[in-house]
Amino acid sequence: MNDLNLDYTLFIPEYFLAGLVVLLVVLDLYVTQVKKSWLSYIAAAGLAATAGVSLCWIDKQSNFARIVAIDNYTTYFRVFFMATGAIVCLASGKLVEDKLRHPGEFFALVILSTIGAIGMAASRELMTAYLSLELLSFSLYILVSFEKFDLRSNEAGIKYLLLGAFASAFFLYGMSLIYGVTGSTYYSDISANLSQGTDKFEWALLMGLVLMITGLGFKVAAVPFHMWTPDAYEGAPVAITAYLSTTSKAAGFALLLRLFSGAFQVVHDDWSWMIAGIAAATMILGNLVALQQHNIKRLMAYSSIGQVGYMLMGIAGLSHNTASALVLHMTGYMVSNMAIFIVIIAWYNMTGKEEIGDFRGMRERAPLLAGVLAGALFSLAGLPLFAGFVTKFILFQAVTDQGYYWLAAIGVVTSVISLYYYLQVMKQAFVIKPDEGDEALLPVPLLMNGMAAALMLGVFYVGLYPQQLFDAIDNATGFLFV
Amino acid sequence: MIEQFGRGGFLLVFAVIFPLIPILASVALGIFKIRPSAPDPIKESVYECGMVPIGDAHVRYNVRYYLFGLLFVVFDVEAVFLYPWAVAYRHLGVYAFVEAMIFIGILAIGLAYAWRKRALEWI
Amino acid sequence: METVSSSIPLENFIVLSSMLFSIGVYGVLARRNAVLILMSVELMLNAVSINMVAFAVYTAPSLFVGIIFAIFVITIAAAEVGLALAIVLRVFKNRGTANVDEIDTLKW
Repeated sequence: MNDLNLDYTLFIPEYFLAGLVVLLVVLDLYVTQVKKSWLSYIAAAGLAATAGVSLCWIDKQSNFARIVAIDNYTTYFRVFFMATGAIVCLASGKLVEDKLRHPGEFFALVILSTIGAIGMAASRELMTAYLSLELLSFSLYILVSFEKFDLRSNEAGIKYLLLGAFASAFFLYGMSLIYGVTGSTYYSDISANLSQGTDKFEWALLMGLVLMITGLGFKVAAVPFHMWTPDAYEGAPVAITAYLSTTSKAAGFALLLRLFSGAFQVVHDDWSWMIAGIAAATMILGNLVALQQHNIKRLMAYSSIGQVGYMLMGIAGLSHNTASALVLHMTGYMVSNMAIFIVIIAWYNMTGKEEIGDFRGMRERAPLLAGVLAGALFSLAGLPLFAGFVTKFILFQAVTDQGYYWLAAIGVVTSVISLYYYLQVMKQAFVIKPDEGDEALLPVPLLMNGMAAALMLGVFYVGLYPQQLFDAIDNATGFLFV
Repeated sequence: MIEQFGRGGFLLVFAVIFPLIPILASVALGIFKIRPSAPDPIKESVYECGMVPIGDAHVRYNVRYYLFGLLFVVFDVEAVFLYPWAVAYRHLGVYAFVEAMIFIGILAIGLAYAWRKRALEWI
Repeated sequence: METVSSSIPLENFIVLSSMLFSIGVYGVLARRNAVLILMSVELMLNAVSINMVAFAVYTAPSLFVGIIFAIFVITIAAAEVGLALAIVLRVFKNRGTANVDEIDTLKW
């Protein structure tokens, strides 16, 4: 037992985040001089500073008692999740002030869920992975139902929670079966035991894999298990919708990558067909149902389901190349999606409306936001110049290299379909004129304009100079396959 | 296998038969008119010798109990982690003691938070 | 000394836990009241605990991973119920019902 590496300094970024949580709650409850609107800046600044601190662990490969690995993969996701969290904190400042009570708790929960997401990316053991998953999920359940007196928020919360609890029970049962057949919860031991032949327990292993994929499928909203997604997205406060569609999905995929590359790569044939089927169904259904949505949050929900389908392709043909392509696509998706949600949040703050039809006249009333919306939607649809094209191209190429031509073909076709409903949104924003007497320029806050522009630059950066980012990701995902 | 469960099954037979005998006897005596039938509202009440129950058993509890119940469950369940620590205390030494104290300290912060949010008061 | 693992085969525990799990799944799918759905989820989690402890005793008696896992499952379940009841209470207060089929503002 004494040969375990119990180096507590590995978790310094997480300690900072936990301290930040306590600080925010204490400031909100005890220190009355601090204006509540500062809390969002404090939270965002804390997250950004911690992301800077976590850069110290670049190229230092280590682990904590074999249960948590601190390597470049973890560092990449630390920065990724903290950046997302900081953007959400900044973007929700006005929203929290106007609509929600208890701002300290709101930001504290966002940061707690960030810790959970990091744990999911870092853990190399099933129990730690599960605890991190629940830390993320529990925080999100509360955040989704944070508008206490809003019926839609209540309803979204209860649906998300009941289905989430159901899914995590499936995940756990699958885990217990895997533990039963391999006698360990460490990914490396599971892999070692499975490589000695699985004839004796083929069915138990298959059952465990099915249950685990079901549970994780719920968490990332893959198709047979996606029912909660549109409801939770529509009912949640809009900043939390942005958070759900990026961090919660990215964390699910970070866990999937770590788990399947670390533990189940040796039995690739047993599960790749399941994931491939789910990926195909997710791409088709997500993009087709999105065609008939009229609420922008629901549209984004189905669009994100479609994007999950593309990302699942990378899991189906899991290799070093597809893992890198997947993480790159996820990053591009995060930047584009956040840009869209910044526009939605700014528009919602000023007009209080969230139907697609209410976007009419955005070109006249908020030209910068309209431009960012167009660029980010083109990026999600995968048009050249923008992030989505490059990342999808690399992803589809990596997937075809693994022999999944049919999946890549479905991906290309559904991308074209997705362009149609993205164009519907743009038609409202650019072609339709604003209502009579409603044509004045809207006073968009500088913060929102700045964030939208910065994210748009990010979209172009990923789209035009992906090499640098891709190299960093490729280096990070290399640690999954040692 | 069968021997171990057989003993249990044997007892199960008795457990079923013994309550059945008086019930069947009562029914049989009633059918043959040996037992007099004289129903009475007091006889049929739930507590024959107690106070008369008021209202329905399915009352809605005051929602304020929920907070107390919640706080109780949190501390009740956290005790689960302290039992293994207490059992292995002698082997683990100071290091584990400090860890357990940190754990309890985090719980105490939670309690202080609930206190400050006035969750402990009967409003 | 006669131990549990020498007298009762592992299959008994697995059958018990899978039955419990199936009952839980049935309850989640068939019940309408949110609180009863939560209780069914608890059944599923308890099935996991049984599985974990049984596997720990039978496959690796010297390691306590499964037993520790069961403890964590208990804690997580308690946290989940506390959180869920808070949200159910909120829904009940705003809507006057906790039946999931009557909570239907959001669709398609």
